[in-house]
Amino acid sequence: MRSELEERAARAVQLAKDCGADDCLAAVAWGRSVELGWHANAVEKVQESDSLELSVRLFAGGRYSAHSTNDLDEGRLKRFLTDAVALTRALEPDPFREIAARELFAGLRSVELDQVDASLTSLDRDRRMAIAGELATAAEADDAVIGSNCMVFDSAGAAALVGSNGFRASRESTSLWYGAEVSMRDGERRPEAHRYVGDTHAADLPSPSETGAEALRRVKARIGARKVSSRRGRMILTPEAGTSFLGRLLGAISASAVQQKRTFLADAQGQRIASPLLTMTDDPFRKRSSASRTYDGDGVALAERRIVSEGVLETFYIDSYYGKKLGWKPNGGCTTNLVFGHGDQDLAGLLGGIDQGICVESWLGGNADMTSGGFSFGFAGHLVEHGELTEPVTEMNITGNYKDLLQQLVAVGNDPLPWSTFRTPTLVFDGVDFAGT
Amino acid sequence: MTESTIATADHVREQLDLFETDEDAIRRVLAVALERGADFADLYFQHRSGRSIGLEDGLVSRASSSVDRGVGVRVVVGDQTGYAYSERLELEPMLAAARTAATIAAGGKAVAPQALQHRAIPQLYPLTRQIASVTVDETLPLVRHVEQLVRACDPTVEKVSVSWGDSDDRVLLASSDGDLFGDRRPMTRLTVAVTCLKDGERQFNSGSLAGRRGLEWYTEARLTEFAKDLVARTLILFEARRPPAGELPVVLAAGASGILLHEAVGHGMEADFNRKGMSIYAGQIGETVAPDQVTIVDSALHPGERGALGVDDEGQATERTVLVENGVMRSYLHDRISAKHYGVEPTGSGRRESFRHVPMPRMRCTYMENGPHTREEIIASIDRGVICENFLNGQVQIGAGDFTFFVKNGWLVEGGKITAPIKDVNIIGNGPEAIRRISMVAGDMKLDTGGWTCGKEGQSVPVSQGMPTVLVSSLTVGGSNAQ
Repeated sequence: MRSELEERAARAVQLAKDCGADDCLAAVAWGRSVELGWHANAVEKVQESDSLELSVRLFAGGRYSAHSTNDLDEGRLKRFLTDAVALTRALEPDPFREIAARELFAGLRSVELDQVDASLTSLDRDRRMAIAGELATAAEADDAVIGSNCMVFDSAGAAALVGSNGFRASRESTSLWYGAEVSMRDGERRPEAHRYVGDTHAADLPSPSETGAEALRRVKARIGARKVSSRRGRMILTPEAGTSFLGRLLGAISASAVQQKRTFLADAQGQRIASPLLTMTDDPFRKRSSASRTYDGDGVALAERRIVSEGVLETFYIDSYYGKKLGWKPNGGCTTNLVFGHGDQDLAGLLGGIDQGICVESWLGGNADMTSGGFSFGFAGHLVEHGELTEPVTEMNITGNYKDLLQQLVAVGNDPLPWSTFRTPTLVFDGVDFAGT
Repeated sequence: MTESTIATADHVREQLDLFETDEDAIRRVLAVALERGADFADLYFQHRSGRSIGLEDGLVSRASSSVDRGVGVRVVVGDQTGYAYSERLELEPMLAAARTAATIAAGGKAVAPQALQHRAIPQLYPLTRQIASVTVDETLPLVRHVEQLVRACDPTVEKVSVSWGDSDDRVLLASSDGDLFGDRRPMTRLTVAVTCLKDGERQFNSGSLAGRRGLEWYTEARLTEFAKDLVARTLILFEARRPPAGELPVVLAAGASGILLHEAVGHGMEADFNRKGMSIYAGQIGETVAPDQVTIVDSALHPGERGALGVDDEGQATERTVLVENGVMRSYLHDRISAKHYGVEPTGSGRRESFRHVPMPRMRCTYMENGPHTREEIIASIDRGVICENFLNGQVQIGAGDFTFFVKNGWLVEGGKITAPIKDVNIIGNGPEAIRRISMVAGDMKLDTGGWTCGKEGQSVPVSQGMPTVLVSSLTVGGSNAQ
């Protein structure tokens, strides 16, 4: 499959050049997937997908544009590319736009990323139904459960990238995801909670019954949730909650944000932006991780990037276009696996040392303005009292500024979820503004 | 606007040509979809082409185009759906997709599809010419001009980016009930982002104008007002602060505040969640859920809005659906499956992101009807609270009813008067409680022309929302606990 896709991409590069492009980077991606939905002890939905898409980036007369199509009929593709080149030539020239120089991919590593689980090709309808049934049985094992929606999704995909600059590479991966969403009666309210797990290899996942049971445990923990009074205090973020909270930061650590003046970290390279407990590394070569890759979308070779070292901002994500605008050497614009420096305790251990606080377990809405660093998010979680999770809380907000809050990180756990790619452990922050009653 | 004034058109012939298929092929694929027995099957052909151009750092130096086409085959048996699609439109791959979709059926008796009847559908997209005829020679000067309008507003404007995007979405739906229709759905969008620099500090804001409308809608007057409003909303951020944290009266300004209805009411009224008993509104039809002055509507019939639809994505006629009438819950939003489950007529709410997706009940254009008060009266009635003017996003938990929306720009009200600007706060509440607490509704309803998109179960669809000025007596406002 990979060599076939590479051939298709190479032919597209040639066709684009025939249509008048000076340079072209072509990507061809193939994917197939099956999603099974399960509700009320029966299959609710089976959805099968199979797709093949070409995307090209064109460079013509100092100008640039990007295009995609899934209509690969030769005659129509030629017309599509002819129109695309004409559109490109109608634009204004951009001196910073050019196809990646060879030196940017000369060091492309040949690393076996082990992203294909051959056993997934034999997954059939009976096995998918069995997984869904196990999920549902475990998720619904309580009389107060209204019902559950269970999902099993498996996919295989491959992608090739070929450029007129001599770049040629491809990769392939599989995935299996499953999980359950459970609803439970709680007076007028019908709280729901979910647990989904997924990875490139089936063997790396917790079992369907553990996964369904975890969804049930979570929804039971939501019974009787209410808001408590507004306060300023200690916030504990579970590994899952930490992922989206710190994930926002990545948008502020990119060359494009710096060049477009949309980040509060624009002048912060080499400065302490966080407590010394924060160390964050982008590792593109983690085996069996779906986020691993050896090159970015421009073909720039990736290497391990230490983003934050003991609180000091070491580097930004630098893609080739904005790198050129800033005069910075590109290191790949894409994020892969984020790995964090560890403490020596897990969530339960860290909670044990906390007298009063609020543990944030899931988010509801909210947003952040990365130009100023300001954020405000809705959440649900639990009160922490004398080292234990006590009352469930909901319908509350936290509000603050990343600039300040990152400095208020006081503890880091050792417990990222095994299958996560943004691998936050439990995090503890002081002085957080909670809004409630 | 009433239905009787809307013209109809038959696009079947033109779409059959586009998809290089014919009625005979469609009949054969439908027959295979029904060969194991089923309630019904449908084919959804789609060809969507999109283009964009963008300006950054003073240059219109980026563009894109895309084509996405294929046919989705759906087979429905009771509450069960089998779905597969093909990106190739020759007969063989379509038949293969139909066989895959049909495996949902347990192997019952084959059913014969009904004879296909062409159907004309209402035209709700006011264009003077097709989107495909708009060229870069027209959009490039527009993008450049908008940048100049923004820069002219204030000398502190440091960075401006502007993008134009349009799409031309052609669909053909054939169902085993014999329905055959085509639709051609345009969408255009102008998005602007601005960063201002003052005394070493930067503020960023963004906005968009969007709709199923042509280039002619983007008039000089509209663009000028849009640019002025955006720059004013950015400059005010230099003075804006966080409000106090906690429960406060919240005024929702006319327009985009319809996001409250979308999150607090609309999603919970989508019948798929209710059918499964998972919505907080399950079993509430006919119950009083809000004060008498509250009437909430979800309609597909507002021409040119992002949520406008002449027909839904499973061939049902669209309508103006009253969700809450004078405080009483009237109707859920139905697709074919839920309408059958409840034994009611579909509301034309079955929508899908593309041919790759199954339809489900979705909102279209959600708004509240006018009430008896005025904005001035509402503000004067508040001792200490906030006004929400502009929003970035919202979310809801269907079962617990908790919902949020993020306020980019707003005001603090003290002693019945606006006293200071506020920014960047999340507001959170509980849907049923929030609509019970709507204590005043003004008569200044307007639909927002920003480009709203709704996400549900991984599918995005364009929507619209609107609101008159409304007072909710208490919601939890994110803010500071500083004394």
